[in-house]
Parts: sequence; structure tokens; C-alpha cells
Amino acid sequence: MSTSKAILSTAAGGSAGNAASKPRSHPRKRTRNQFFAFRGTLSKRAQIITAAFASLFVLGLWEISTRLGWINAVFLPPPTVTIETLWNMILHKNLLWHAGVSTLRIWVAFSLSVIMAVPIGIAMSSFRGVGAALEPIVDFIRYLPVPALVPLSIIWFGVGETTKIFLLWLGTFFQLVLLVADDMRRVPQEYVEISYTVGARPAQMLSDVAFRAMLPSLFDNLRITLGWCWTYLIIAEIVAADNGLGFVIWAARRYMNTSEVMAGVVTIGLIGLVTDQVLRLLHKRLFRYL
Amino acid sequence: MATAPYLEFDGVAKYFGDLEVVAPSFDLTIQRNEFVVFLGPSGSGKTTLMRMVGGLETPTYGEIRLDGQPIGEPDRERGMVFQSYSSFPWLTVAENVAYGMKYRLDLTPERKKARLDHYLKLVGLTDFADFYPNKVSGGMRQRIAIARTLAAGSEVLLMDEPFGALDAQRREGLQIALRRIHRQDAKTIIFVTHDVDEAVFLADRIIVFSKRPARMLEDVDISAELGPERTLELRDSEAFFKLRTRILKLVRAATGEEEKV
Repeated sequence: MSTSKAILSTAAGGSAGNAASKPRSHPRKRTRNQFFAFRGTLSKRAQIITAAFASLFVLGLWEISTRLGWINAVFLPPPTVTIETLWNMILHKNLLWHAGVSTLRIWVAFSLSVIMAVPIGIAMSSFRGVGAALEPIVDFIRYLPVPALVPLSIIWFGVGETTKIFLLWLGTFFQLVLLVADDMRRVPQEYVEISYTVGARPAQMLSDVAFRAMLPSLFDNLRITLGWCWTYLIIAEIVAADNGLGFVIWAARRYMNTSEVMAGVVTIGLIGLVTDQVLRLLHKRLFRYL
Repeated sequence: MATAPYLEFDGVAKYFGDLEVVAPSFDLTIQRNEFVVFLGPSGSGKTTLMRMVGGLETPTYGEIRLDGQPIGEPDRERGMVFQSYSSFPWLTVAENVAYGMKYRLDLTPERKKARLDHYLKLVGLTDFADFYPNKVSGGMRQRIAIARTLAAGSEVLLMDEPFGALDAQRREGLQIALRRIHRQDAKTIIFVTHDVDEAVFLADRIIVFSKRPARMLEDVDISAELGPERTLELRDSEAFFKLRTRILKLVRAATGEEEKV
């Protein structure tokens, strides 16, 4: 211990002495460690490599811990088993069809949310009267836990598609309305006034300028709420469904078939990952000017 | 210069709730094609006065008339140039300028195109027509805004510290450009600033304001002393220097102790 310290100190002293005695002819390129620097920069390549390594590390740890018996594979099937099960489910258990059904439900419910939330949200922040009237109601419903409304929605709509769409809608609409209202509120007043002073009428100002100005942040919020929608999907499909990923997961649980549960969960994760990447790419394409 | 009153402030006062922003009673008459600078401390209410001309605020008391008609809703007759968010980021430079004509039904597409080219050239942005605003300098973004209001056909330009966020060199360039534009394409301009140098260089006439609530302290005829021509050399002349010092003293008195050096 003491020797290593001594070596360190002489090394440090030596280099300091060197630096002082002869001035550097070539300024060396700074290679400060950006990896953990606050708001440091990291090349795209380095980021991808880091992401790959981290993912592989987690997967490897997961695999090893079940292989070595630290964790019972019945409770947490290792990645290799999960992927194998996933493949078998695609081949023999219509997993892709179930995934398709779920995706369709999400898109129907989410589209419904968006079609309603965008105009209502814009109206809430554009017109004081509408905002004053709706905000308390929306705020109240927003905090209601969706699972708690499952029994009621079954009584109202039965156990068919309507209930599932309703629950998904319920989980996203009220959140989205407030986000949209905020997006509109953040449109700079200058834009509005520029529009009016070149002769726009209020409706023209709203569609040509205010809506256009809020689009990038609206798009971001839609991307985020779409993610929440998948969370509510499981709740909606656990309730008396005979298809969809939620059903697959819940049915597998009944037989303690954890690898199928895992495969179902992974499928949702993959769909989410792909959707998000596609939307990010679309955002870049649509809003090049940012 | 024409002598018929063009823009008249008649007994104007403005309150935001209990806050007195423009003290009663503000009277001012501006001639057609005059370049008037509202000079005064920040937050003095001079911007509010200008916004009332734009129809973006309404006077609590009194009336503002343009060409004898009371000012109503915002209209393309009175265009605004702001310090920030002065152009739309999702439109190219040319599209931004063309936006000024978007709601004009009296112009044919060919006429609009001709006007677009004319005003892009006037402000020196022809080469940047297809750029997005985030790819051009802050000074160019302000040129976009000026061209847009001119293309809209505004007779009165209302400029709210439009060069406030620019560095000294860009500022000077734009000031010269604005004077040139004013001479080529005569418009009535109200220009709000707290920069004395800028005010003296640009103005035909400076209205010096007090701290809030805004009151007119002095009405200085700059053109009578400096003439209509404004060049870089003028900036170094003794006449400019003397005038600047005189105005600076007025502003210091208006601002109060903070300015003591």
C-alpha cells in the first residue's frame, strides 16, 4: 500500500516537473473524460456501443443468475428461454395475431383520445370561459385510478370491445387534454400578434399560426401518452378478454407458465421500443427547422 | 414634410387594474412618414403606448386616431416588429416575408411574387430566401420581420426594441439599413428603445419618457439638427456627440439615481 503510494507521488511529481521545464510544442488534444462529465458530449458511436454493452450486461447477468440457480427459473425464466418461448408462441400460439389485436385496440382508443383531446385542449387554453368550465372536471377525473373504474365500465358497457376501448380512452384522454392545453398556452404571444397585425382573423390565426407553432410539442406529448396507453391495455385485457397480449399474459399466469408471461411482456416492450423509435424519426423529419 | 396630423394621441391614459402605466393625459401628434423614437427607461410604459397604436391594447381614457379614424382592432395597416419570436421558425425566410401578404385578397399571385422579391431585395435577404430562420443570424431574423410588415402593406411600423438582442456590429448595420429602408419606402415608424445612441442615430424626432407611469418629458427634433442623412461618419461628428449628450442627460434625469456615475 505504502509503496504504491510512493510510486504514485513520484510519478505525479516527475510529470509536473517535466511540464514546467519544457513548454509543449504541440498543444495536445484534450481528452477529458466526457463519459461522466455533467452534460458532456459523447459521439453517436460511443453511445450506441455503451447502450449495447449495458443491455448485454443486464441480459447476461439475468441469464447467469438463473443458470447458476441464484434465482429460481420458474419465477424468472432466463432470456434464452424467453426468446425460445416467444418464437414457439409465434409459431403455434398466434402471438402475432394477439399482438395485432392489442395494437388495433390501442390505436382505436388512442385516436379517439387525440381527436377529442386536441380541439378541447386548444379551446381550454384559448378561451377563458371554456378553460374555467372544464378544468376542474378534467382535473378531478384525471386523478381517478383507471383500475377502480373497471367494475363500473363492465356494468355500463358489458365485457365486449367497448369496455376495453373505454378504459384505454379514459386513461389517456384526460391526461392528454391538459397537455394539449399547456402546449397551446406556451405558444409565444408574439406569434399571435404578428398574425393579427398582418390581417388574420382569429380562426386563421389559430390554424395558420398557433396550431402550427404548437405542433412539435404536441407531437412529443402524443408520443409519451401513447406509451401510457400500453400500460392500461393490460388492465383492459385482463378483464374478460379472450384475445390480446393482456389476455395471453393473464392466461399464462394461471398455469404458472412464467416463460410465456415473460414472452408476452417482452413483446409489449418490443412494440413500444419500435413505435417510439419510428415516432422519433418522424419527429426529426417533420420538424427539420428546429 | 407634410403638416397634416397623421397619428394622434388625444388625452390618452392607461391603467392595468390599479397600476398606472401611462399617466393622463398623453397628447402627441405624429406626421406621415416621420421616424419617431420613444426613448425612456425600461418598463416605463412606452411599449404600452406603441401597442395601443397596434390595437393590441386599448387606452383606458382618451383616443388614438390614424388619419382621423379612431384605432380599432389590429390591422395590417399597422405592423409590429418584436425583439424576439419575430419570425416563424417553421417557415423559410421567403415564406415568412410572404406571410405578410397571406390574407391580402387584393393581390394576384404574380403581384405577390413580385412584392416578395422586391422586399427580400430591399432588406438584403434574397440569397437567404430558402433558409429557415434558425440557420440565419439574429440580425437577419429582424430583417425578415421588417420585410414581412412592409410586404403586408403596413403604413405604420411599430418596432419594439427590435435590435435589443443583437451585438453592436449587427446593430449598427441594421440601423443604417432601417434608415435606408425608411427613405426608399417611406413609412411612419414608431421605434421603442432605451438606447440613447440608437435613438439619436435613427430618429427624426425623439420623445423622451419618464419612469412609469409614462409621461412625455421632452420632444426633440433630431432632423432639424442632424438632417435626414444618417451615415457612419455622422456617428463620429461633434453634432451627433453633443445631441447624444443632451439626450443622455434627459434620460439620466428620468431614470433617477441609478445612473449616477
